Amino acid sequence: MIKCVVWDIDNTLLDGVYLESAGQPPPADPALTAVLRELSGRGILHALASRNPPEAADYVQAATGAQFAAARCGWDSKAESVRAIAAELDLATDTLAFVDDDMIERAEVAAALPEVLVLTPEDAGQAPQWPDFSPPVLTAEGRRRAGMYAARQRRQAEAAAFGGSREDFLRHAGTRITIGRAGTADIPRLHELSVRTRQLNSGAAALSEDDLAALVSSPAYLVPAVSLRDDYGDDGIVGVAALARNGAGSWPVPVLMMSCRALGRGVLEALLGWLSRTAAAAGATGLTVPCLITDRNVPLRLALAAAGLRAAPGSAAAGERAEFSRSLTGPLPPVPDWLTGWDGTS
Amino acid sequence: MNLTGELAGLLAEVTGHPELAALPPAAPLFGGEAGLDSLSGARLLRQVHERYGVDVAAEDLNLDALQSLGALAAFIADRR
Repeated sequence: MIKCVVWDIDNTLLDGVYLESAGQPPPADPALTAVLRELSGRGILHALASRNPPEAADYVQAATGAQFAAARCGWDSKAESVRAIAAELDLATDTLAFVDDDMIERAEVAAALPEVLVLTPEDAGQAPQWPDFSPPVLTAEGRRRAGMYAARQRRQAEAAAFGGSREDFLRHAGTRITIGRAGTADIPRLHELSVRTRQLNSGAAALSEDDLAALVSSPAYLVPAVSLRDDYGDDGIVGVAALARNGAGSWPVPVLMMSCRALGRGVLEALLGWLSRTAAAAGATGLTVPCLITDRNVPLRLALAAAGLRAAPGSAAAGERAEFSRSLTGPLPPVPDWLTGWDGTS
Repeated sequence: MNLTGELAGLLAEVTGHPELAALPPAAPLFGGEAGLDSLSGARLLRQVHERYGVDVAAEDLNLDALQSLGALAAFIADRR
Protein backbone atom coordinates (compact mmCIF):
# COMPACT_ATOMS: atom_id res chain seq x y z
CA MET A 1 0.00 0.00 0.00
CA ILE A 2 1.30 3.45 -0.92
CA LYS A 3 1.61 5.90 2.00
CA CYS A 4 3.45 8.75 0.26
CA VAL A 5 3.89 9.91 -3.34
CA VAL A 6 7.14 11.72 -4.19
CA TRP A 7 6.59 14.12 -7.09
CA ASP A 8 8.95 15.78 -9.54
CA ILE A 9 8.10 19.42 -10.31
CA ASP A 10 9.14 20.39 -13.89
CA ASN A 11 6.76 19.03 -16.55
CA THR A 12 5.14 16.87 -13.86
CA LEU A 13 3.23 18.89 -11.27
CA LEU A 14 3.84 22.05 -13.32
CA ASP A 15 2.92 22.42 -16.99
CA GLY A 16 6.41 23.57 -17.90
CA VAL A 17 9.82 24.25 -16.37
CA TYR A 18 9.96 26.42 -13.24
CA LEU A 19 13.25 28.19 -14.03
CA GLU A 20 12.72 28.65 -17.76
CA SER A 21 9.78 30.95 -17.35
CA ALA A 22 10.63 34.62 -17.23
CA GLY A 23 8.61 36.20 -14.44
CA GLN A 24 5.58 34.02 -13.79
CA PRO A 25 6.33 30.28 -13.37
CA PRO A 26 4.12 27.84 -15.30
CA PRO A 27 0.72 26.86 -13.88
CA ALA A 28 0.01 23.60 -12.03
CA ASP A 29 -1.08 20.62 -14.12
CA PRO A 30 -4.86 20.45 -13.55
CA ALA A 31 -5.20 16.66 -13.84
CA LEU A 32 -2.42 15.96 -11.34
CA THR A 33 -3.69 18.72 -9.02
CA ALA A 34 -6.95 16.74 -8.86
CA VAL A 35 -4.97 13.55 -8.14
CA LEU A 36 -3.09 15.31 -5.30
CA ARG A 37 -6.38 16.35 -3.73
CA GLU A 38 -8.03 12.94 -4.19
CA LEU A 39 -5.09 11.05 -2.65
CA SER A 40 -4.80 13.52 0.26
CA GLY A 41 -8.44 12.80 1.02
CA ARG A 42 -7.50 9.13 1.29
CA GLY A 43 -4.79 9.88 3.84
CA ILE A 44 -1.89 9.48 1.37
CA LEU A 45 0.96 11.96 1.85
CA HIS A 46 2.77 13.96 -0.82
CA ALA A 47 6.41 15.01 -1.06
CA LEU A 48 8.57 16.84 -3.61
CA ALA A 49 11.92 15.82 -5.14
CA SER A 50 13.27 18.38 -7.56
CA ARG A 51 16.48 19.93 -8.86
CA ASN A 52 14.87 23.36 -8.58
CA PRO A 53 15.77 25.87 -5.86
CA PRO A 54 13.81 25.46 -2.59
CA GLU A 55 11.42 28.34 -3.39
CA ALA A 56 9.98 26.16 -6.18
CA ALA A 57 8.46 23.94 -3.47
CA ASP A 58 6.63 26.94 -1.97
CA TYR A 59 5.40 27.90 -5.41
CA VAL A 60 4.09 24.38 -6.13
CA GLN A 61 2.38 24.25 -2.74
CA ALA A 62 0.60 27.54 -3.51
CA ALA A 63 -0.19 26.62 -7.14
CA THR A 64 -1.66 23.19 -6.33
CA GLY A 65 -3.13 23.97 -2.92
CA ALA A 66 -1.69 20.65 -1.70
CA GLN A 67 0.28 20.05 1.51
CA PHE A 68 3.72 18.49 1.07
CA ALA A 69 5.03 16.59 4.07
CA ALA A 70 8.64 16.82 2.88
CA ALA A 71 10.54 18.52 0.05
CA ARG A 72 14.04 17.84 -1.30
CA CYS A 73 15.22 20.50 -3.71
CA GLY A 74 18.82 20.46 -4.88
CA TRP A 75 21.39 18.50 -6.80
CA ASP A 76 21.14 15.16 -5.03
CA SER A 77 20.19 12.22 -7.21
CA LYS A 78 16.45 11.52 -7.18
CA ALA A 79 17.10 8.14 -5.55
CA GLU A 80 19.00 9.94 -2.78
CA SER A 81 16.11 12.40 -2.38
CA VAL A 82 13.52 9.59 -2.21
CA ARG A 83 15.64 7.79 0.40
CA ALA A 84 15.99 10.99 2.44
CA ILE A 85 12.25 11.66 2.30
CA ALA A 86 11.51 8.11 3.51
CA ALA A 87 13.95 8.60 6.39
CA GLU A 88 12.54 12.01 7.27
CA LEU A 89 8.97 10.69 7.39
CA ASP A 90 9.99 7.36 8.99
CA LEU A 91 8.30 5.47 6.18
CA ALA A 92 9.66 2.28 4.62
CA THR A 93 10.69 2.85 0.99
CA ASP A 94 8.31 0.12 -0.24
CA THR A 95 5.37 2.33 0.78
CA LEU A 96 6.53 5.13 -1.57
CA ALA A 97 5.64 5.95 -5.17
CA PHE A 98 7.80 8.23 -7.33
CA VAL A 99 6.44 10.26 -10.27
CA ASP A 100 8.70 11.92 -12.84
CA ASP A 101 8.35 12.78 -16.54
CA ASP A 102 12.08 12.13 -17.11
CA MET A 103 12.81 8.55 -18.15
CA ILE A 104 16.39 8.71 -16.89
CA GLU A 105 15.32 9.87 -13.42
CA ARG A 106 12.72 7.09 -13.30
CA ALA A 107 15.31 4.51 -14.35
CA GLU A 108 17.76 5.75 -11.73
CA VAL A 109 15.21 5.49 -8.90
CA ALA A 110 13.96 2.10 -10.13
CA ALA A 111 17.52 0.73 -10.21
CA ALA A 112 18.57 2.10 -6.81
CA LEU A 113 15.26 1.44 -5.02
CA PRO A 114 13.48 -1.42 -6.81
CA GLU A 115 10.83 -1.51 -4.04
CA VAL A 116 9.60 2.01 -4.91
CA LEU A 117 6.64 2.19 -7.31
CA VAL A 118 7.94 4.33 -10.21
CA LEU A 119 5.36 6.07 -12.41
CA THR A 120 5.11 8.44 -15.35
CA PRO A 121 2.82 11.48 -14.87
CA GLU A 122 0.32 9.73 -17.19
CA ASP A 123 0.35 6.63 -14.95
CA ALA A 124 -0.09 8.84 -11.89
CA GLY A 125 -3.24 10.27 -13.46
CA GLN A 126 -4.75 6.77 -13.22
CA ALA A 127 -3.40 6.02 -9.74
CA PRO A 128 -6.61 6.80 -7.82
CA GLN A 129 -8.20 3.80 -9.57
CA TRP A 130 -5.51 1.36 -8.44
CA PRO A 131 -5.74 -0.82 -5.32
CA ASP A 132 -2.30 0.33 -4.08
CA PHE A 133 -3.73 3.83 -3.73
CA SER A 134 -7.06 2.73 -2.24
CA PRO A 135 -6.78 2.12 1.51
CA PRO A 136 -9.35 -0.45 2.62
CA VAL A 137 -10.45 1.73 5.52
CA LEU A 138 -10.23 5.44 6.05
CA THR A 139 -10.88 6.98 9.41
CA ALA A 140 -10.91 10.49 10.82
CA GLU A 141 -7.26 9.96 11.82
CA GLY A 142 -6.48 8.90 8.25
CA ARG A 143 -8.07 11.97 6.68
CA ARG A 144 -6.16 14.27 9.04
CA ARG A 145 -2.84 12.62 8.26
CA ALA A 146 -1.39 15.44 6.10
CA GLY A 147 -2.08 17.97 8.87
CA MET A 148 -0.44 15.66 11.43
CA TYR A 149 2.72 15.50 9.30
CA ALA A 150 2.74 19.31 9.09
CA ALA A 151 2.58 19.38 12.91
CA ARG A 152 5.36 16.82 12.94
CA GLN A 153 7.62 19.04 10.82
CA ARG A 154 7.18 21.88 13.33
CA ARG A 155 7.79 19.48 16.24
CA GLN A 156 10.97 18.07 14.69
CA ALA A 157 12.34 21.52 13.87
CA GLU A 158 11.83 22.62 17.48
CA ALA A 159 13.22 19.36 18.86
CA ALA A 160 16.40 19.82 16.81
CA ALA A 161 16.86 23.34 18.22
CA PHE A 162 15.95 22.30 21.78
CA GLY A 163 18.89 22.02 24.13
CA GLY A 164 17.73 19.48 26.72
CA SER A 165 17.24 15.73 26.73
CA ARG A 166 14.56 13.84 24.84
CA GLU A 167 12.49 13.57 28.04
CA ASP A 168 12.80 17.31 28.57
CA PHE A 169 11.55 17.95 25.05
CA LEU A 170 8.57 15.59 25.42
CA ARG A 171 7.62 17.45 28.60
CA HIS A 172 8.24 20.87 26.98
CA ALA A 173 6.01 19.86 24.02
CA GLY A 174 3.13 19.12 26.39
CA THR A 175 3.04 15.44 25.40
CA ARG A 176 -0.10 13.63 26.63
CA ILE A 177 -0.48 9.87 26.28
CA THR A 178 -3.91 8.55 27.17
CA ILE A 179 -4.62 4.85 27.56
CA GLY A 180 -8.29 4.00 27.36
CA ARG A 181 -10.28 0.85 27.07
CA ALA A 182 -10.84 0.15 23.33
CA GLY A 183 -14.52 0.17 22.46
CA THR A 184 -16.67 -0.74 19.49
CA ALA A 185 -16.41 2.79 18.07
CA ASP A 186 -12.61 2.46 17.88
CA ILE A 187 -12.64 -0.71 15.76
CA PRO A 188 -12.34 0.93 12.29
CA ARG A 189 -9.30 2.93 13.46
CA LEU A 190 -7.71 -0.13 15.11
CA HIS A 191 -8.25 -2.12 11.90
CA GLU A 192 -6.65 0.69 9.89
CA LEU A 193 -3.64 0.62 12.24
CA SER A 194 -3.26 -3.12 11.83
CA VAL A 195 -3.30 -2.75 8.03
CA ARG A 196 -0.78 0.11 7.94
CA THR A 197 1.76 -0.41 10.67
CA ARG A 198 4.77 -2.70 10.18
CA GLN A 199 7.70 -1.05 11.98
CA LEU A 200 6.06 -1.24 15.39
CA ASN A 201 3.98 -4.39 15.04
CA SER A 202 4.58 -7.70 16.79
CA GLY A 203 2.44 -9.66 14.31
CA ALA A 204 2.35 -9.93 10.55
CA ALA A 205 -1.24 -10.38 9.47
CA ALA A 206 -3.74 -7.53 9.64
CA LEU A 207 -6.56 -7.99 12.14
CA SER A 208 -10.03 -7.90 10.65
CA GLU A 209 -12.79 -5.81 12.21
CA ASP A 210 -14.34 -9.11 13.38
CA ASP A 211 -11.07 -10.19 15.06
CA LEU A 212 -10.91 -6.84 16.82
CA ALA A 213 -14.57 -6.90 17.84
CA ALA A 214 -14.02 -10.33 19.39
CA LEU A 215 -10.97 -9.10 21.33
CA VAL A 216 -12.65 -5.92 22.55
CA SER A 217 -15.71 -7.77 23.85
CA SER A 218 -13.86 -10.75 25.37
CA PRO A 219 -13.57 -10.84 29.18
CA ALA A 220 -10.31 -12.76 28.71
CA TYR A 221 -8.47 -9.70 27.35
CA LEU A 222 -7.70 -6.14 28.33
CA VAL A 223 -7.50 -4.08 25.13
CA PRO A 224 -5.89 -0.67 25.71
CA ALA A 225 -6.15 1.93 22.93
CA VAL A 226 -3.41 4.55 23.08
CA SER A 227 -4.01 8.19 22.10
CA LEU A 228 -1.30 10.78 21.64
CA ARG A 229 -1.33 14.56 21.48
CA ASP A 230 0.90 17.48 22.30
CA ASP A 231 1.01 21.25 21.76
CA TYR A 232 1.84 20.72 18.08
CA GLY A 233 -1.08 18.48 17.21
CA ASP A 234 -3.47 15.69 18.07
CA ASP A 235 -2.59 12.32 16.54
CA GLY A 236 -5.67 10.54 17.86
CA ILE A 237 -5.39 6.79 18.44
CA VAL A 238 -1.86 5.66 17.57
CA GLY A 239 -1.63 2.23 19.15
CA VAL A 240 -3.35 -0.82 20.56
CA ALA A 241 -2.44 -3.94 22.49
CA ALA A 242 -4.23 -6.98 23.84
CA LEU A 243 -3.25 -8.31 27.26
CA ALA A 244 -4.54 -11.80 28.06
CA ARG A 245 -5.53 -12.40 31.68
CA ASN A 246 -3.64 -15.41 32.99
CA GLY A 247 -4.06 -15.53 36.76
CA ALA A 248 -0.79 -15.61 38.64
CA GLY A 249 1.21 -16.74 35.59
CA SER A 250 2.91 -14.73 32.86
CA TRP A 251 0.38 -12.64 30.91
CA PRO A 252 0.69 -12.87 27.11
CA VAL A 253 0.41 -9.83 24.81
CA PRO A 254 -0.79 -11.35 21.50
CA VAL A 255 -1.37 -7.93 19.89
CA LEU A 256 1.03 -4.98 20.08
CA MET A 257 1.12 -2.28 17.41
CA MET A 258 1.82 1.43 17.14
CA SER A 259 1.69 3.95 14.31
CA CYS A 260 5.10 5.02 13.02
CA ARG A 261 3.99 8.61 13.70
CA ALA A 262 4.53 7.81 17.39
CA LEU A 263 8.17 6.77 16.81
CA GLY A 264 10.62 8.75 18.90
CA ARG A 265 7.94 10.09 21.23
CA GLY A 266 8.21 7.49 23.97
CA VAL A 267 4.74 6.04 23.38
CA LEU A 268 5.56 2.37 22.85
CA GLU A 269 7.91 2.51 25.83
CA ALA A 270 5.08 4.03 27.91
CA LEU A 271 2.62 1.36 26.75
CA LEU A 272 5.02 -1.45 27.69
CA GLY A 273 5.42 0.17 31.12
CA TRP A 274 1.64 0.40 31.52
CA LEU A 275 1.12 -3.24 30.41
CA SER A 276 3.74 -4.43 32.90
CA ARG A 277 2.29 -2.41 35.78
CA THR A 278 -1.32 -3.31 34.99
CA ALA A 279 -0.56 -7.03 34.75
CA ALA A 280 1.57 -6.94 37.90
CA ALA A 281 -1.18 -5.13 39.84
CA ALA A 282 -3.59 -7.92 38.85
CA GLY A 283 -1.22 -10.58 40.17
CA ALA A 284 0.74 -11.52 37.04
CA THR A 285 4.30 -12.68 37.64
CA GLY A 286 5.51 -12.04 34.10
CA LEU A 287 4.77 -10.48 30.72
CA THR A 288 5.25 -12.32 27.41
CA VAL A 289 5.20 -10.72 23.96
CA PRO A 290 5.29 -13.13 21.01
CA CYS A 291 6.94 -11.21 18.19
CA LEU A 292 7.51 -12.11 14.58
CA ILE A 293 11.14 -11.38 13.64
CA THR A 294 11.27 -9.28 10.47
CA ASP A 295 13.71 -6.78 9.02
CA ARG A 296 10.93 -4.19 9.26
CA ASN A 297 10.02 -4.31 12.94
CA VAL A 298 13.48 -3.75 14.43
CA PRO A 299 12.15 -0.58 16.16
CA LEU A 300 9.67 -2.78 18.07
CA ARG A 301 12.45 -5.12 19.19
CA LEU A 302 14.40 -2.09 20.40
CA ALA A 303 11.45 -1.04 22.57
CA LEU A 304 11.10 -4.60 23.91
CA ALA A 305 14.81 -4.67 24.78
CA ALA A 306 14.58 -1.24 26.44
CA ALA A 307 11.66 -2.51 28.56
CA GLY A 308 13.73 -5.50 29.69
CA LEU A 309 11.98 -8.22 27.66
CA ARG A 310 14.22 -11.01 26.38
CA ALA A 311 13.88 -14.10 24.21
CA ALA A 312 15.97 -17.26 24.41
CA PRO A 313 19.05 -16.38 22.30
CA GLY A 314 18.90 -17.99 18.87
CA SER A 315 15.31 -19.19 19.43
CA ALA A 316 13.98 -17.57 16.26
CA ALA A 317 15.34 -16.57 12.85
CA ALA A 318 13.90 -14.04 10.41
CA GLY A 319 10.30 -14.91 9.58
CA GLU A 320 9.85 -16.88 12.81
CA ARG A 321 8.19 -15.93 16.06
CA ALA A 322 10.16 -15.37 19.26
CA GLU A 323 8.71 -15.15 22.77
CA PHE A 324 10.04 -12.08 24.54
CA SER A 325 9.34 -12.07 28.25
CA ARG A 326 10.27 -10.49 31.55
CA SER A 327 9.53 -11.01 35.20
CA LEU A 328 7.11 -8.66 36.92
CA THR A 329 8.21 -9.50 40.45
CA GLY A 330 11.13 -7.05 40.68
CA PRO A 331 11.37 -3.39 39.66
CA LEU A 332 8.99 -2.57 36.77
CA PRO A 333 9.67 -0.55 33.62
CA PRO A 334 8.80 3.13 34.10
CA VAL A 335 5.78 5.04 32.84
CA PRO A 336 6.18 8.78 32.18
CA ASP A 337 4.19 11.18 34.35
CA TRP A 338 2.38 12.52 31.24
CA LEU A 339 0.61 9.19 30.74
CA THR A 340 -2.99 8.95 31.87
CA GLY A 341 -3.91 5.32 32.29
CA TRP A 342 -7.06 3.35 32.64
CA ASP A 343 -6.63 1.08 35.62
CA GLY A 344 -7.70 -1.97 33.64
CA THR A 345 -10.08 -3.20 36.29
CA SER A 346 -13.29 -1.58 35.06
CA MET B 1 39.88 7.18 16.08
CA ASN B 2 39.05 3.89 17.80
CA LEU B 3 35.83 2.01 17.10
CA THR B 4 34.13 2.97 20.38
CA GLY B 5 34.86 6.63 19.67
CA GLU B 6 33.45 6.35 16.14
CA LEU B 7 30.30 4.73 17.54
CA ALA B 8 29.92 7.55 20.09
CA GLY B 9 30.04 9.97 17.15
CA LEU B 10 27.31 7.99 15.37
CA LEU B 11 25.22 7.99 18.56
CA ALA B 12 25.52 11.78 18.82
CA GLU B 13 24.46 12.05 15.19
CA VAL B 14 21.38 9.78 15.36
CA THR B 15 20.11 11.26 18.63
CA GLY B 16 20.91 14.87 17.70
CA HIS B 17 22.73 15.26 21.04
CA PRO B 18 26.38 16.23 20.38
CA GLU B 19 27.33 15.75 24.05
CA LEU B 20 26.81 11.97 23.63
CA ALA B 21 30.03 11.87 21.57
CA ALA B 22 31.72 11.83 25.00
CA LEU B 23 29.57 9.00 26.46
CA PRO B 24 31.75 6.53 28.41
CA PRO B 25 32.06 3.09 26.73
CA ALA B 26 30.39 1.28 29.66
CA ALA B 27 27.40 3.63 30.06
CA PRO B 28 24.00 2.01 29.32
CA LEU B 29 22.43 3.02 26.01
CA PHE B 30 18.82 2.28 27.00
CA GLY B 31 17.55 4.59 29.69
CA GLY B 32 20.04 6.75 31.54
CA GLU B 33 21.88 9.60 29.89
CA ALA B 34 21.92 8.15 26.36
CA GLY B 35 18.15 7.51 26.30
CA LEU B 36 18.27 5.36 23.17
CA ASP B 37 14.73 4.65 21.93
CA SER B 38 13.14 2.70 19.12
CA LEU B 39 13.70 5.49 16.61
CA SER B 40 17.28 6.51 17.43
CA GLY B 41 18.17 2.84 18.01
CA ALA B 42 16.93 1.84 14.55
CA ARG B 43 18.89 4.72 13.03
CA LEU B 44 22.03 3.66 14.88
CA LEU B 45 21.67 0.05 13.68
CA ARG B 46 21.15 1.24 10.10
CA GLN B 47 24.32 3.38 10.29
CA VAL B 48 26.30 0.49 11.78
CA HIS B 49 25.10 -1.81 9.01
CA GLU B 50 26.04 0.69 6.28
CA ARG B 51 29.38 1.64 7.73
CA TYR B 52 30.72 -1.66 9.10
CA GLY B 53 28.66 -4.23 7.19
CA VAL B 54 27.43 -5.79 10.45
CA ASP B 55 23.67 -6.41 10.67
CA VAL B 56 23.21 -6.46 14.45
CA ALA B 57 19.41 -6.89 14.23
CA ALA B 58 19.78 -10.04 12.12
CA GLU B 59 22.39 -11.65 14.37
CA ASP B 60 21.40 -10.58 17.86
CA LEU B 61 17.79 -11.46 18.72
CA ASN B 62 17.82 -9.57 22.04
CA LEU B 63 19.95 -6.68 20.76
CA ASP B 64 22.33 -7.22 23.69
CA ALA B 65 24.99 -5.51 21.56
CA LEU B 66 23.20 -2.25 22.35
CA GLN B 67 23.81 -2.49 26.09
CA SER B 68 26.69 -0.04 25.79
CA LEU B 69 29.03 1.44 23.20
CA GLY B 70 31.72 -0.95 24.43
CA ALA B 71 29.43 -3.97 23.87
CA LEU B 72 28.53 -2.71 20.39
CA ALA B 73 32.20 -2.15 19.49
CA ALA B 74 33.09 -5.68 20.66
CA PHE B 75 30.18 -7.15 18.66
CA ILE B 76 31.33 -5.36 15.50
CA ALA B 77 35.03 -6.15 16.03
CA ASP B 78 34.22 -9.88 16.39
CA ARG B 79 32.57 -9.90 12.99
CA ARG B 80 35.04 -7.89 10.93
